Formats: sequence, structure tokens, C-alpha cells
Amino acid sequence: MIKKLMTLGLLLASHATLADIAVIVNSANASAVDDGTIKKLFLGKSKSFADGSSAAPVNQDGNAVFDEFNDKVIGKSSSQLNAHWSKLVFTGKGTPPKKLDSDQAVIDFVSSNADAIGYIDASKVTDAVKVIGKY
Amino acid sequence: MKKSAIALAVALGTVSFHSVAEIRINGFASIIGGQTLDSDDTLHGYDNDFDMENRSLFALQLSADLQESLTATAQIVGRGQNDFDAEFEWAYLTYAISDSSQISAGKMRIPFYRYSDFLDVGYAYRWVKPPQSVYNLSFSTYNGLSYIHNSTLGEWESTVQLALGSVDDDIVAITYSDEAELNNTVGINWTLNRDWFSVRAAYFATKASISAANSPELSGLLAGLTGYGLTQQADDIAVDKDDAYFAAIGISIDYNDILFDVEYTQFDVDNSILAKQQQYYASLGYRIDAWTLHLTYEHNEDKNESDEFNSVPLTITAPNGVTIPVTTDPTNPNAPYLRTLVNSTLANARAESETWSIGARYDFHPSAAFKIELNQFDNTLTDQKVELLSFGIDLVF
Repeated sequence: MIKKLMTLGLLLASHATLADIAVIVNSANASAVDDGTIKKLFLGKSKSFADGSSAAPVNQDGNAVFDEFNDKVIGKSSSQLNAHWSKLVFTGKGTPPKKLDSDQAVIDFVSSNADAIGYIDASKVTDAVKVIGKY
Repeated sequence: MKKSAIALAVALGTVSFHSVAEIRINGFASIIGGQTLDSDDTLHGYDNDFDMENRSLFALQLSADLQESLTATAQIVGRGQNDFDAEFEWAYLTYAISDSSQISAGKMRIPFYRYSDFLDVGYAYRWVKPPQSVYNLSFSTYNGLSYIHNSTLGEWESTVQLALGSVDDDIVAITYSDEAELNNTVGINWTLNRDWFSVRAAYFATKASISAANSPELSGLLAGLTGYGLTQQADDIAVDKDDAYFAAIGISIDYNDILFDVEYTQFDVDNSILAKQQQYYASLGYRIDAWTLHLTYEHNEDKNESDEFNSVPLTITAPNGVTIPVTTDPTNPNAPYLRTLVNSTLANARAESETWSIGARYDFHPSAAFKIELNQFDNTLTDQKVELLSFGIDLVF
């Protein structure tokens, strides 16, 4: 029984870390967004899309999707990311993206804000948003 | 028209109401303990008795978006070495001119070093404190203006910062606390960054005045020289509206799990008793999961230029043609020459040291890190070695 539970736990855990991440923007957003741009927007190194319009990135709040996105797309651990933002926050050079607590909240935000960019579990994508990359 | 004006006023009212409400509070803290390993040794404010105050600090940062592009930021810091008395260390307004440039006015950090901007945010780096041979200026803020411009040059990200202002503070210079004024301070620093590599250069120029009042030796010498009418020679050792500069260059690498930093700095106050200082460090770090191990070497050399010596004459000729020896007491034939005293004061400013450090950082929590570090400071002029062990926790919140 215990063994079964452990196997189940491992399966769930590995499932959680294997979820694909979809980076999404508002359906009306026609800008080309490559990996480098996504990284820059989420690290506060850039504040606008390729066409010059300003961008509003949204993070997820410390959940598995957040960890997965940081690992696959940003390439930093949560400690490294925290260190990165502390360098900007405590020098008045930037503020980290606003945090939303679920895939649905990100979809709602992105679909109602033309300048938004976010990421969600790829299996949760709906027609309300436009996927610009899967990782 | 009227209607839309009212609507606009209402909209603005609502916007400003929301803006005022949005005050961000962030904070950081370091709780650091340390002691030297031998009974009579002192280093960086530590002695052989275990101390938890010297480097501990607690800080809160408040920032408020006043309007679309205007931000007010204040940082309140309580330092263990000042009994945690809270002080406003930073207080400035920032106006975002565009997405790529901003101008700030107020009391801010002087961007001398690579890690200057977050000097007190231990969480942002791997050491307990950045290498002290290089990070050795005892003042870190100025009052004035700062302009930052970010741009992209091909694959490189460029950040240029211009600083203009003044410093009015008690600093470690001639003694451990001297009243100092740095006026007309101008500085530029430029950082180029590409993926895992960044290079930075900085240059500052200022007019420095540092009071000799707390040093009886120096005040005595200055009074003696002036008494003989040797005002030029007195000016050459006093720090009074003298030109000073600071230059720094460094590179940083963060490649996969390898971290490497090197910084070289030099500064001097012209025509003064203060020695020219040159220092550098090289530090290698390696990340293994939540651990970062590091090894750092530092070198410091302070030295007055040889042409600054022997500027004081041994004798002067009085208007009546009599030759008077320039000593501490012209009536006493055995009194020491002021030249000897000035030379030895210039020579005493000499210092040379090497420091080796090993340390580890352990990220045991997403916003807190444990650090431990052993520094071995070697005064290479006297061959005296001092070991300092320090450890503690840095956090951000």
C-alpha cells in the first residue's frame, strides 16, 4: 500500500514537472516574440514588444507552472531569479511582473489586456488567447 | 468639451487615487556573526570575541508610483554597528523619460563598483560581504542626480549611468572618522552585457576636502609648515579642495554553473597625504544545486608617489639673511626636521596586503541564504596574518 502510494506520488510529481508550458499573448497581438524577447520581458531587461508597444508580463505565483517556466524558458532557479530581482528592486531599476495564482487567472488577464504576455500549462490553453511558443 | 474635461478630471482623480494607494514595500536583512581566530587580531571591525552586530542589518524599501512615470523610493536601514538605529540611507525620485532611460534625483548609492547598487543586499551575491580590499571606501551614498540609459548594441545590452552630485559625510581617511566633503562629483559607468558575460568600467572625478582636525599629528605638521610660511608644502599634504579620481574596470561571468568576477580599482587624491590606492580581486564560484562554493583572491597596494617626498626644505632663509632650520622647534638643535616628519607620514600611508577567502552559500529557502566564509588577510609589509570566520543568513522579503 505504502509502495503504491509512493509510486502514485512519484508519478504525480513527475507529471507535474513534465507539463509543457505555453507562452501566451492577447489574440490581437501581432508582434513576433522569440525566446530571447520572452526572457528579456520576464527578467525586466526589456519593456516592449518588437513593434515598440509596451508589454505587461504576468508571472504565476510560485506554483509548479512558475518553476517549470523558469527552468525551461528563463533558465534560472527560483533563488537565482530572486537574486536577479533583488538587484533591480533594491536599486529602483525595476519591479518584478505581477503575479497571478492560476492558469485561468493568466488566461483572463491576457485575453482582456492587449499588451499582456503570460504562460500557462499547455493543456489549459483556450481560444481566448494566442500561443506564441511551447516549451 | 466641458463634459470631456470633467470626465478627464474624474479619470485623473481616479488614477492619482490609485497611484497614491500603490506603495510597494520590500525589505532585506542580514544577520551575520563573526570573529577573528587569534586573540589579538582585528579585521573589518571584528576581533577575537564573537560578534553579531558589526555586519548585521535590517532594511525596508518603500516605493510609490506617484504618476505614470514618477516613482519615489526610500530605503531605511538599521545597522548593527549603529545599534540598529534606523536611518534614511536613500531617498530619491525617479522619472522614467522613456522605456530606456530614467533620471533620478536625491540621495542615492554612488555606483563605484560592480556590486555597489546592492552592496547591502547580501542575498544578491555569493560572499558574506564583497571583497573588502576593493570594496573599501567607507562611504557609499551621494546627493545629486543620476541618469541611466539602456540600449541594445547588436547582441549586447548596454547600460550607461551618469552621476552628478556631492558627498558630505564622516569617512575613514586620515583617521577612522574625518569630516569630508566631495564636491562637484561627476561620474560615468558603463556596463555591457551579453548572455553570460558582462564588462563594466567606471570613472569618477571630484574635489575632495578632508578635515585634519581628528589627527593631531597631521594638524601639527600643517600648523608647523604654515608657521614657516611653507604654505605650498602644507597644501601638498592637506586634503583641501584637491582633485581626486576613482577608476574601476571589471568583468563578470555567469556561465552554466561557473561564476567568475574580477574587478580592478584605483583612486588618488592629488597633492595630499593620502596614498594612491590600487586594488583588485578575482573570484571563482561554482554552483552545485542549492550550494555555491567560492574562492577569492584580493590584493591591495597603497603608496605615495616618490616625487611627493622631500618637498619640504631643510632650512629657510629669513628676510634678515639668517638660515633657519625647518624643525619642530628651531631653538632646539636636536628637534626633528619637518621634512623627516612629512616624509615619514607619506611613507606610513603605505600598505600592501593579500587576502584569500573560501566560502559557501546555501540557498535553503527561495528568499533566504545561509553563508559561511573564511578570510585570511596577509599584511605583506609586516608578514602579519589575520583569519576571520563569519557566517550568517541573508534574506529578501
